[in-house]
Amino acid sequence: MALADFLASLDALAQQARDAFATANSADALEAARIEFLGAKSGHLRQVQKGLGSVEKSDKPAAGKRFNEIKGLMEQAFETAQERLAGRVRESASEPFDVTLPGQTVRVGHLHPITQTIREMKDIMGRLGFTAVEGPEIEDDWHNFEALNIPLSHPARDPLDNFYLATAEKGCQDEKPLLLRSQTSTVQIRVMEKTAPPVRIISLGRVYRPDTADATHYPMFHQIEGLLIDRGVTMADLKSVLRLFCQSYFGGDDQVHVRFRPSFFPFTEPSVEVDMNWQGGWMEMGGAGMVDPNVLRAVGYDPEEVTGFAFGLGVERICMRQHGITDIRALYQNDVRFLSQF
Amino acid sequence: MIVSRNWLKEYVDLPMTVDELTDRLTLTGLNLEGTEEVGNDVAIDLEVTSNRPDCLGHIGVAREIAVLWNQELKRPALDLPTSDSHATDLTSVDVRCPELCPRYTARVIRGVKIGPSPAWLSDRLKSLGIAVINNVVDISNYVMMECGQPLHTFDFAKLAGKKIVVRKSQPGEKFTAINHQEYELAEGTCVIADDQRAVALAGVMGGADTEVSESTSDLLIEAADFAPLAVRNTARRHNLQSPSSYRFERGVDPEGIDWASRRCCQLILALAGGELAEGVIDIAEPIEPRPTIKLRFTELPRVLGIEVPPDQVQTILTELGCEETHICDHCIKVIPPSWRADLTREIDLVEEVARIHGYDQIPEDAGVKMVASTRTLRDRVHDQVRGVLVAAGVDEAMTISAVESKWVEVFRPWSEAAPLVVSTPVLRRADCLRQTLAPSLLAARRINETLSNSTIELFEIADVYLPRTGQLPDERRLLGISSGAGFAVVKGVVEALVAAIVPGDKMSATTYDEKFFASGRGSQLGLGGRTLGFLGEVSHWGLEQFGLRSGTTIAEIDLEVLVDSAVPIRTAKPLSPYPPVGRDLNVVLDESVRWADVERIVRANSRDLLESIAYQETYRDAERIGADKKSLLFSLSLRSAQETLTNEQADDVRDRIVAALGKELGGELRA
Repeated sequence: MALADFLASLDALAQQARDAFATANSADALEAARIEFLGAKSGHLRQVQKGLGSVEKSDKPAAGKRFNEIKGLMEQAFETAQERLAGRVRESASEPFDVTLPGQTVRVGHLHPITQTIREMKDIMGRLGFTAVEGPEIEDDWHNFEALNIPLSHPARDPLDNFYLATAEKGCQDEKPLLLRSQTSTVQIRVMEKTAPPVRIISLGRVYRPDTADATHYPMFHQIEGLLIDRGVTMADLKSVLRLFCQSYFGGDDQVHVRFRPSFFPFTEPSVEVDMNWQGGWMEMGGAGMVDPNVLRAVGYDPEEVTGFAFGLGVERICMRQHGITDIRALYQNDVRFLSQF
Repeated sequence: MIVSRNWLKEYVDLPMTVDELTDRLTLTGLNLEGTEEVGNDVAIDLEVTSNRPDCLGHIGVAREIAVLWNQELKRPALDLPTSDSHATDLTSVDVRCPELCPRYTARVIRGVKIGPSPAWLSDRLKSLGIAVINNVVDISNYVMMECGQPLHTFDFAKLAGKKIVVRKSQPGEKFTAINHQEYELAEGTCVIADDQRAVALAGVMGGADTEVSESTSDLLIEAADFAPLAVRNTARRHNLQSPSSYRFERGVDPEGIDWASRRCCQLILALAGGELAEGVIDIAEPIEPRPTIKLRFTELPRVLGIEVPPDQVQTILTELGCEETHICDHCIKVIPPSWRADLTREIDLVEEVARIHGYDQIPEDAGVKMVASTRTLRDRVHDQVRGVLVAAGVDEAMTISAVESKWVEVFRPWSEAAPLVVSTPVLRRADCLRQTLAPSLLAARRINETLSNSTIELFEIADVYLPRTGQLPDERRLLGISSGAGFAVVKGVVEALVAAIVPGDKMSATTYDEKFFASGRGSQLGLGGRTLGFLGEVSHWGLEQFGLRSGTTIAEIDLEVLVDSAVPIRTAKPLSPYPPVGRDLNVVLDESVRWADVERIVRANSRDLLESIAYQETYRDAERIGADKKSLLFSLSLRSAQETLTNEQADDVRDRIVAALGKELGGELRA
């Protein structure tokens, strides 16, 4: 027998034995494996040992040496398996062991705090029956303004308050310039245009407004907006859903209440600001209201048939308050020391 | 809008404390911004929403208070003396752009004595933080703050031709404002002019040439209405925001203009003397009649979720100034007051009733219907992606969606089209909507290098914007990774990602030559015949573009491809009860042979017994195995579903594989 073949069969055997010992999940199985490989009479190793005799004489020392190595390895693997099955670990007084040494480092990444905030909000609203949807960030005039009851003369359309695309890129509608959406309400329009009531969604994502970046402003931020359209939806439903949301998000064991203050948004009427009680005072949560009949009509709904509410919350503000982040720019600087805190 | 408590008392009794007052106002539409004691007065800063210009004067705020506390609103009585001279004999008004100036009124007072204002007047202006100038200017400011109508007083003697022309500015026309700065006017700006020149920017600011000074004795008093959009544009273009422009932008009470003019004259006559010419020059477009609005009482519970008794609805609306034209069991019809241009529809009246009745009356425990919500496949896949990356030790970054134009050309695997450009940069010089996430991640990497952060492992999930003609751009959700590790490590992460989302499908890789990637170390990834993405080690040139010191591997994955092929629900397969048998192979091949081909041949020749194949390492040694040769070491795990494999069976599979590798790729077992 050629030495190479002998060695190859030895290696293969060692691998098989190691696998068998390592995967044995009971003492009986391990004993069976021991007999199979290490059995004194007809174990595989014994069989291989017989082959040693047919190796060329000059190769015998090398073959014998390797045989003994493999035998040792197999026996060691058996012992290790025995200890594993007995629930024992290596015990040796002669081997010093410092339990206070650090464990092997496992590097785990971190989700961005904005992602975590959005995920929590989506989870809560999902439990309240709202399905999360997304829409394009580059929008046309109709979805960002017109359908949202923001007429041409409205200050919200001012070029200084929006990121319009340069005139070369015209939208398909009326050649009015496209823009980076200034609110996620655009997605509500898109969903309502395609879906008959009832509609129960949250839309969320990036929005853009030309603010100079400082500690509390950034030209890009995230919004989450809820929309519920059905027969018989009232402001009491709006208040109740928001209270449940706030209770889930912030409440813990404390009883959370929300209050409405009158406000003004083109796409809702009545419009309100929403506060929740927080540390003895009131904390601003966002804007809300009943969907304006003009908006319902714009998407082909009959305001005499259905009513609905909408609300919008700024993700950054809630995220920053919850995590004690004092400068919004830190969210977008991506210093890994910052990111690894969350 | 800052209001003075003492001033408010002129129009309504204030039996409540300032706290009680501001709490209630906050909950009914006038949000408290802050209060400040000024002498014996309290300045109350209220936020007035843009739909409520009627509250940009003390009378408007007092009216809200009167409605809320059921008090009487007291407006000053106006009584002007008669005179022999007539305004129409003294001056004329020519409105040449009625679309920008729907109404212009002028009155003339002659022989006034300019001097300081009395303390009661100057104190009130000081409470509001308004500079005190002289009696005439102070009075026009006072009346504006009283009723919300901006006014302007001209030194009549300095008006060339003793006339007023309201017109659009001419090309290159210049104007010196009362701040004594000269402005070159944008063409088409609405100006108040005399015979020769512009003397005021309509609704925005008066001019220095005709301003009222100590030597002034004759006055022309302007009370007008200017188009909101035009005033806003003028103020913005010339960067001249004023309390006047603020009010015109939001709209003034078209029927309150003459009252304001007469109120101004009344105070001037009382405090600065002079003689008021009889009559007024009033150039006005016809005022549209206000509509009658019907409010069905059933709308209140339908929208608000609560009932409001009809008599209470009636009280709220009439106290707010609406004129009731009809009421029955079912509905009330009203004509809204001239100062409430925001009330045109039934739903507007619902809001008025709601806010005065009180939003606190609306319950917060309604039994909202329960419905099932669904998580979209997209959402699930994105969450899976995040899970894998976090487990792989990568931190999630968020970067802004626009990049500087110089970064567009650096790497553009997804589109050749010119990027979409924003007319004003989103941040600093970033005005191009990005078509790849790589530059943003490399910029974030540089920031971290600057901060001496040693381990920089970043990923981002965000859209890129690929232009399409005639429709909205293709917004594609990508995953970008920038790692400090090499190609194989990042490829392993991407493989784990694919395995987690699309089990059973195998990702392919082909060499992708690109300046951005180090030579031979860029790849294009495919999945199911589609382009999955790109992966490679960034070249020195690429690193230089971003000022990076250390190398990085970039991966960019089209998540839509993963979503489309995702297998969200897994199916269990029967597991073999028989043990696996392992075989290690060490095969010498030509350098040009690719692993993908080796693996393909191994799989094709394993008689369905191959459970897994694991690449171990590549060994090169020109002396031992020859130049342009490499030795690939890999392990096979073989297992049958029917029986325990014997060594002979395993050897047979190995031999078949070796033979096939030899035949197809010229491979040889290494001895």
